[in-house]
Amino acid sequence: MAQRPHLVGLLLALVACGRAGSRTPAAGSLAVTDDAGRAVTLAAPARRIVSLAPSSTELLFAIGAGDRVVGRTTWCRYPAAALSVPVVGDGLNPNIEAIATQHPDLVVLYASALNETAARQLERIAIPAVILRQDLLEHVARDARLLGRLTAHESGGDSVARAVLEALEAPPPWPTSASRRRVAFVVWDNPPMVIGAGSFLDQLAELAGVHNAFHDLTSASATVSLETIAARDPDVVITIADSEDARLPAFASAREWQVVRAVRERRVLTLPGALFGRPSPRAAAAVAELRRRLQALR
Amino acid sequence: MKWVGLAALAVFAFALAVLLGPAHVPVAELLRSPIVRELRLPRAVLAFLVGGSLGVAGASLQALVRNPLADPYLLGLSGGASLGAVAAIALHVGGPWALPLAAFVGALAAMGLVYRLGLVGGVELDPRVLVLAGVVVGAFAAAVSTAIVSLSEATALRNAFLWLWGGLSGANWDTVLALCLYAPLPLAVLFAAARPLDLLALGEEPAGYLGVDVAVLKRCVYVAASLLTAAAVAVSGVIGFVGLIVPHIGRLLWGHRHRALLPVVFLGGGTLLSLADTVARVAVAPRELPVGIVTALVGVPVFALLLRRWTRN
Amino acid sequence: MDQELILAAQGVRYRYPGATGDALGGVSLTVRRGDLVAVLGPNGSGKTTLLRVALGALVPAAGSALVAGRPAAAWTRRELARLVGVVPQREETVFPQRVREAVLLGRYPHLSMFGAERPADHEAVNRALAQCDAGHLTGRWMATLSGGEYQRVRVARALAQEPRLLVLDEPTMSLDVRHEMELFELVRGLVDRSALAVVLVTHHVNLAARFADGVLLLDGGRAAGEGVPAEVLTRETVERVFAWPVAIATYQGAPQMIPLRRRSDA
Repeated sequence: MAQRPHLVGLLLALVACGRAGSRTPAAGSLAVTDDAGRAVTLAAPARRIVSLAPSSTELLFAIGAGDRVVGRTTWCRYPAAALSVPVVGDGLNPNIEAIATQHPDLVVLYASALNETAARQLERIAIPAVILRQDLLEHVARDARLLGRLTAHESGGDSVARAVLEALEAPPPWPTSASRRRVAFVVWDNPPMVIGAGSFLDQLAELAGVHNAFHDLTSASATVSLETIAARDPDVVITIADSEDARLPAFASAREWQVVRAVRERRVLTLPGALFGRPSPRAAAAVAELRRRLQALR
Repeated sequence: MKWVGLAALAVFAFALAVLLGPAHVPVAELLRSPIVRELRLPRAVLAFLVGGSLGVAGASLQALVRNPLADPYLLGLSGGASLGAVAAIALHVGGPWALPLAAFVGALAAMGLVYRLGLVGGVELDPRVLVLAGVVVGAFAAAVSTAIVSLSEATALRNAFLWLWGGLSGANWDTVLALCLYAPLPLAVLFAAARPLDLLALGEEPAGYLGVDVAVLKRCVYVAASLLTAAAVAVSGVIGFVGLIVPHIGRLLWGHRHRALLPVVFLGGGTLLSLADTVARVAVAPRELPVGIVTALVGVPVFALLLRRWTRN
Repeated sequence: MDQELILAAQGVRYRYPGATGDALGGVSLTVRRGDLVAVLGPNGSGKTTLLRVALGALVPAAGSALVAGRPAAAWTRRELARLVGVVPQREETVFPQRVREAVLLGRYPHLSMFGAERPADHEAVNRALAQCDAGHLTGRWMATLSGGEYQRVRVARALAQEPRLLVLDEPTMSLDVRHEMELFELVRGLVDRSALAVVLVTHHVNLAARFADGVLLLDGGRAAGEGVPAEVLTRETVERVFAWPVAIATYQGAPQMIPLRRRSDA
């Protein structure tokens, strides 16, 4: 359990920050600081929410505020109940007019340069916007609480947060030792891009009891040389697919990739993007699924 | 002599490409290591082939359009290649050769379109019309690519643009073999056009009176240079600067006669790209830089130094 | 003695695409070995067009253009370049070159595709430079030459092709009197010594009259006169073609045109 303490400490610090930001300046109004550092104030809990990211749509439903979602993007397909919500765009470059048509009192965006501009535009027409960034599992917990406050579903937010944090603190299936298998998450083949410590996938790997061979990279992802992957010799190569297709990825048959032992021996896992494409409240399920598939490969 | 120096530099660059890398391979195991045999060696050879092809294509096109700022991508080829690649990804075309083939076909389509536009007006393949047509076709293709990206699933396509940034990551012996079988013909055509290109510098009418079949020459050079560039882009994305700068460096040191310039530019382009690729692999290991950035960072100071030396004379 | 007919253009008619009128409306030009023929006429009378058609660079709408007995279009560019050396009016100078390299370009029609230059080629270059009295310029950069030297080098390049016909299009455009005379003397010397045929397009009526064996005077794409200078360059003809009052004086048997001022000369 050597690696656990600092992680727990970090979580507590984040949770404390979340609590600190929830002091309400005026009676009845809700003030939060979003993940882009913006101070957002709502006069009353949001009742008509437009969610412009699959992660926030899922989170809103998970905390019990799904009936308040009046707009989503085409990519917001989980949970099934979300499919009946009207689509207001693809989320890449928000269409302010389409959003305004739904008369929202809150818009939830993911962190990007385009969305920061969109948030300012929304403010100019008096629609509050929050920007959420979810790279790691603890961000899911934080944002669950934040959305819980903004929608007066604090208990829902808290329970989702607790579930995610519990999954984070769950003990690995076997004691950490040098015999832990190494994995590499390959998200693109030409040029090869791998997942680093700044991504939730790295966390899932840790929780599933394997070690990310590129844990030394601090960013969420990075371009590396193919020979680096070959030299680090992961036991398993993992890719994320858009569909539920379990076929081997195209690069597994490319000649130059045969230098990587895991590819040569066909120890390649294809994980479904629906569960593994982003950090979500279903973290525990994701960890369990990853463990199961890794076991199957032994 | 200059030639000996260039050859030595080329050998040195090749050796560096094989010896250096983010993975530590002890010298004793060099020849047996699969990393060296299956990754570094074919990558080094591919760097030479691609760099050389881009250099020769660039020098030929500069002579064809009589403009020293021309580079292999001037004629819309990179736009066409990116459109082909983006279309292939958007249509989920599978297989390891899907992207390169799609990029190649896209580049050829752009070449055909620019050629067709170049027939407009009296003079066939008028340099000014060619350049304008190339810019227009390239811009159009880029716009369509961006439209496809913005309407499709984001992640895969954004990553596709990384591929187009240029890189030799996909190098393997199959790719090398394909390029070795393909490149000699267009290269031979361009080497054969060396003297006529010298004459073309006088103008199309004077060159014609000196015995050059100008229409045939322009067509051959245009097609051959485009085919070389299309293959280079298909295999390694859009790597800038090599086709633009290496011909100028060659001219500063070897003069303008294409019989000497083209072989020099082939070796020089290969050397530059090989060195740049080694830096790209090693400089920020374990991460890797896009090679197009390194060719600019390496090529521009070298060019500036030579320019100073030349203007001082 | 009937000398070999090098150039025979008969009744050629040509119109540039998109133009309202014919650039050439039925013109004939005959050049034999040992002849120096001057093509004269005001700007836009079709002199350069006639050259292009006669040498197969343009296809006439009517008429024929034969070079050494075969239609101009039937020769390949390479074969034609071995027969005819042209010094065009304009040339681009994109990159710096030495005189020797520039003249060596004229050997192109004699070289094989991948083969290197042979000693015979270098000898031809030396001969050509010597003929043009430019042998001493061989190591100089083209950009450092004077106007007259530059033209002589261009003539040398055409001579390096070892042609039977030399064509010069306005070779003395920006030259002063000394260099003009040197060039005309050079060309005349070539014709006299080596039985070269020469076609000289020029606007310099007086020098043409003194140096040429025959002249063709063009006016608006048609022939205003063809033959010996003294017969063609009469006052009526010259005044009509050049649309300016002139007086014709004779110098050493050659008619010399003297433009008059608007108010009658004394």
